[in-house]
Amino acid sequence: MTTIISLMKQVPLPSQMRMGEDGLMDRTKAKSIINVDCSFALEAGLQLRSMMHEARLIVCSMGPPSFEQSLKTALAMGYDEAYLLSDRKLGGSDTFTTGLAISKMLRHLGFGRGLNEDFIVVAGRQTSDGDTAHVPSQVAENLDIPQATFIEDVQFVEGKIIARRIIEGGYQILKLPVPCTLSLTPTGIPPRRPTLAGAVRSRASSIKIFSIDDINMREEDAGLIGSPTIVAKVANIKSERAPIVMSTGEDSKTLVKDLMHNVKQGKNHLDAVVKKEAKAVVIPEAYETVDFRKGASGILTWAEVAGGKIARSSLELLTPARHLAESLDAGTKVRTVLIGSQLESLAQELIAHGSDEVIVIDDARLSEYRILPFSAIFAQVIKAYTPEIALFAATTAGRELAPRIGVKTQSGVTADCTALEIGVHIDNKKKVVYAPILESRRPTYGESKLATILGFVCPQISTARAGTFEVPTRDESRIGLITPFTPQLGEKEFVTEILETVRGEGGLSSLFEADVIVTGGRGAIGDEMALVKELSSALKEQGIKCEWAVSRPVVDLGLCEYARQIGQTGKTVRPKVYIAVGVSGAIQHIAGMKEAETIVAINHNAKESIFSHADFGIVGEYEEILPELIEAVKNGFVFGLEAQ
Amino acid sequence: MDNTNTLTTDIIIVGAGPAGLSAAIHLADEFKKIGIKKRIMVIEKGNAVGAHILSGAIIKADAFKELLSAEEFNALPFDSEVTHDTTFKLSENGALALPFHPPVMDNIGYQIASLGQICKYLATLAEARGVEIYTSFSVNELLYENDKVVGIKTIDTGVNHHGEKQKNYQEGTRVYASLIILAEGTRGSLAKELKTKFDLRKGVEPQVYSLGIKELWSVPEGNIQAGEVYHTFGYPLESEFGGGFVYGLKDNKVAVGFAVGLDYEDPSFDIYKAMQVWKQHPRIAALLKEGTLLEFGAKTIPEGGWDAISKLYVDNVLLVGDSAGFVAMPALKGIHLAVTSGMCAAKTAALALVKKDTSEVTLAQYKTLIDQSRIRTEMYPYRNFRAVMSEGIFVGGLKFGIQLLTNGACLFTPKLKRDNLTLKRLLSFRGTPFAKRFKGKLDVDKKLTFNKVTSVFYSGTQHDEVQLVHLHVKNNYEFIELNMKQYGTPCQHFCPAEVYEEHRDKEGKLSLKIHAENCVHCKTCDIKAPNDAITWMTPYGGDGPQYQNM
Repeated sequence: MTTIISLMKQVPLPSQMRMGEDGLMDRTKAKSIINVDCSFALEAGLQLRSMMHEARLIVCSMGPPSFEQSLKTALAMGYDEAYLLSDRKLGGSDTFTTGLAISKMLRHLGFGRGLNEDFIVVAGRQTSDGDTAHVPSQVAENLDIPQATFIEDVQFVEGKIIARRIIEGGYQILKLPVPCTLSLTPTGIPPRRPTLAGAVRSRASSIKIFSIDDINMREEDAGLIGSPTIVAKVANIKSERAPIVMSTGEDSKTLVKDLMHNVKQGKNHLDAVVKKEAKAVVIPEAYETVDFRKGASGILTWAEVAGGKIARSSLELLTPARHLAESLDAGTKVRTVLIGSQLESLAQELIAHGSDEVIVIDDARLSEYRILPFSAIFAQVIKAYTPEIALFAATTAGRELAPRIGVKTQSGVTADCTALEIGVHIDNKKKVVYAPILESRRPTYGESKLATILGFVCPQISTARAGTFEVPTRDESRIGLITPFTPQLGEKEFVTEILETVRGEGGLSSLFEADVIVTGGRGAIGDEMALVKELSSALKEQGIKCEWAVSRPVVDLGLCEYARQIGQTGKTVRPKVYIAVGVSGAIQHIAGMKEAETIVAINHNAKESIFSHADFGIVGEYEEILPELIEAVKNGFVFGLEAQ
Repeated sequence: MDNTNTLTTDIIIVGAGPAGLSAAIHLADEFKKIGIKKRIMVIEKGNAVGAHILSGAIIKADAFKELLSAEEFNALPFDSEVTHDTTFKLSENGALALPFHPPVMDNIGYQIASLGQICKYLATLAEARGVEIYTSFSVNELLYENDKVVGIKTIDTGVNHHGEKQKNYQEGTRVYASLIILAEGTRGSLAKELKTKFDLRKGVEPQVYSLGIKELWSVPEGNIQAGEVYHTFGYPLESEFGGGFVYGLKDNKVAVGFAVGLDYEDPSFDIYKAMQVWKQHPRIAALLKEGTLLEFGAKTIPEGGWDAISKLYVDNVLLVGDSAGFVAMPALKGIHLAVTSGMCAAKTAALALVKKDTSEVTLAQYKTLIDQSRIRTEMYPYRNFRAVMSEGIFVGGLKFGIQLLTNGACLFTPKLKRDNLTLKRLLSFRGTPFAKRFKGKLDVDKKLTFNKVTSVFYSGTQHDEVQLVHLHVKNNYEFIELNMKQYGTPCQHFCPAEVYEEHRDKEGKLSLKIHAENCVHCKTCDIKAPNDAITWMTPYGGDGPQYQNM
């Protein structure tokens, strides 16, 4: 009988994380829930069982005893057994150590290579309080089994898993053998609610709690001590919007003209808070400087190829790579790994954008990204070149590849960074200084804090948030090496089949990637979103990555699918330009779009609160303003963005 | 039938409020005293005990003394004891402190508390006695056999807006029990069904309600002291019955509330907005100055009094608390009566289970116990209070004065009317419509005053998007013709949570939009909509407000 193992984490309820008086998220009053992605995984497990003759369903978690509450819910939903790994010695675990601990727990339960191999691990894509998406990948690598992450639909057919994986601008259908690990996005079948009968059964059942001794984990491998990365610093991010620039004019034509003028002039900025002079780091003389790199040198990046082109996010990566190389020892090289087939011109492009050496793996089987061979190749390249830093764009591929590699190299990973710098780390306990070291900074706690994360094992691996860095200027005169590399790949690396890859409109995940999002609210439903869609297409025609979306009332009215909903109960997006049409600006909506770089509000009611959250505003009927705006777009007005 | 989805128990209590939990605690005590073991299940639709509980609250603690051991009583999480109690008669800018307290409205020595916190505490005491409490489960069906109630069923989940089964469909659980205690609170859906099916309101006055809106604030040190209590009547109300309260709590917290009888006539009257106007009164604004809103909520209060109480039992079922209508007027206190009714129900239930006879004949004991309890002493003499008050504060106040001397009797007591019958059509309403009446006072500053949607955010309200719309419009055509065209869509005004929106398309065609996800479960629409056009149905368990300290 197949066992379905659901991994689950309990997190503070994101919607209860309210904005405190200081403008920061207050999560102290938040109650705990099952992490949303994990709840979709729980449902996926139950759905899988319904496709099998029979299956045993177990749920596992790692955390404090308070997690029992969520495990009980899983039991009430229909799971048969629940296990909790709970040990104070696990406190401060990073994702690497968490992945290791969970794998050891699963082995202790009898699942793994050489043990019971008839099992499927289902997990949430990522947690709302950590946001890394690392653990499923790391569990898969530790158990040495195939994986598929960012899955929104899963079927069990003739002993194999058929999974639909979200990729940038589309999806992929994968066929995986058992055992395997799947991570689920919160876009599939929503979790069922427990029945009362289930809750009554759950109340009577008990949860087995393990300590690290039980699962055979050594103390030095657990918790803070065992973690290759640490959070060195957490700083507050103050997010406030400067006063809006309202358009003035007699009619919709002049209003739109004025908007174009205002956009050109730029939005208002808050007076920059005078930054305190960063204190020069004083290193006590007695402290010994440790160069933990042990000879590792150079920056390695991955050039992701999609549809025969290098992904923009991979080119962006060369900006921090070069910056880091220049901050390190003279002669530090930026090397880029390029995997696929017929890559010659792409290699040149990478050099023109800043690579010193492009390591080319040319293999017809690798024209589409697949996790197992790619992670194996990276392990071999890293072994051959011993880079001190490895950078990946935080795409759906990068976000599963980096952590899988991070297990192979035992170095851990920092996810979704928005800044990468070289610094020093003073350890006052050990009286030593670690230098030079990569400081990876990433927003955390609902974007309210900026954490600086350090890794002490080379290569120091980070993924960088797409859109954060500029693509370096192309310089055709740059000279670099193109080095072919032949990896050792076995059949084992090709057990997962790609049945289909669809890239295109993709609709929904493209909301996360769009540079412009045009959102229609309750005040824009008169034409069933026709003008909103038209504005979006007009921008697309101008070469702008644009999507349209809606606020909650529009979904409630059945005018649009839920997947396009922006806001607290929908998606959180951060496009370059967000155009809110007829959106009132309820606090729930603002939560989902406040991180947009520029916000334009169009509403007939000047009193709507959307205007206090926007940079540019027009008061007017959308039926009159939008046609003018669409006309302006057709004539080349693209909100100051560059067409691609 | 799916046996794994069917349960049997001895007692089911629907609702973990003060009445339901008191019944559970006292039942457990009674069974222990008698020396028998019985299974008591409490089912609560809120996602936690207290999540759907809202009250002022000033509590007369005596009933809790009877319910709990001395040690348990002393650990009740009261906030502060009332030390100052002033009643103001407000005019637009002035405030006249009454030199005396209106009769039976003196609160000195009573306890200010968050009823939600009290209920959380009671739940721990009940569980310690072996009571099983299940939260996040909605009961939306009574199960019948031979026309007698024999159990309950929880709501089917995993259906779409049209009720079609989705992939995550889960049928509700059937629970069969010897005895069912309905403690759903104000305007309970099952109680409503029961009252209709068994004609329990036969010969009694119609129940009337107020809508109470409460906000919890944090204010700077010095605005108000813990234990300081203010009640107001008058402005912004005129002919409407009601008033406001401000209770000083520990840690510079303040509970402010505003309650208005739902027997008003203006179809555009908006109690939520009236409260925002009230907060702008200099006397109230001063108390909230520089403060921040922490929580928001609303509930209706059954205040028809003694004569509006329906029959309280049928075979296998007892009604307690707000579901039964136990609120003492004019003090507007129901918590201690809820506790007392829970205890009376527990005593009756214990007796019935021992006798193995849960028929009406045995359950009639419940009514006897109620009649011997403080419920009668506190409600009977004031039975006509609400009726005379429907004539306004002056005539009503005079008549109420007479009643105090005659143990409640009074000549010329007007008949109470159901709240949705008092509403006037647009054309026949003679007074000043709400918007005109408060012109210039209805802008919100988002500091002291808010709009409904923002307030809903502060109630923590959430609803699963995928389910049947839990606010059912009986007949769309009739609704548009009557409720919208003739009454001007009063639901968009009386609903404190902006659930209802009047929509007019380009051709001027009217339609009603229902934003069910905003609903704070106050039930006003079920009560006040003309022609009983809207039925409040129970949504999925765990949905609705998530009050923390209300």
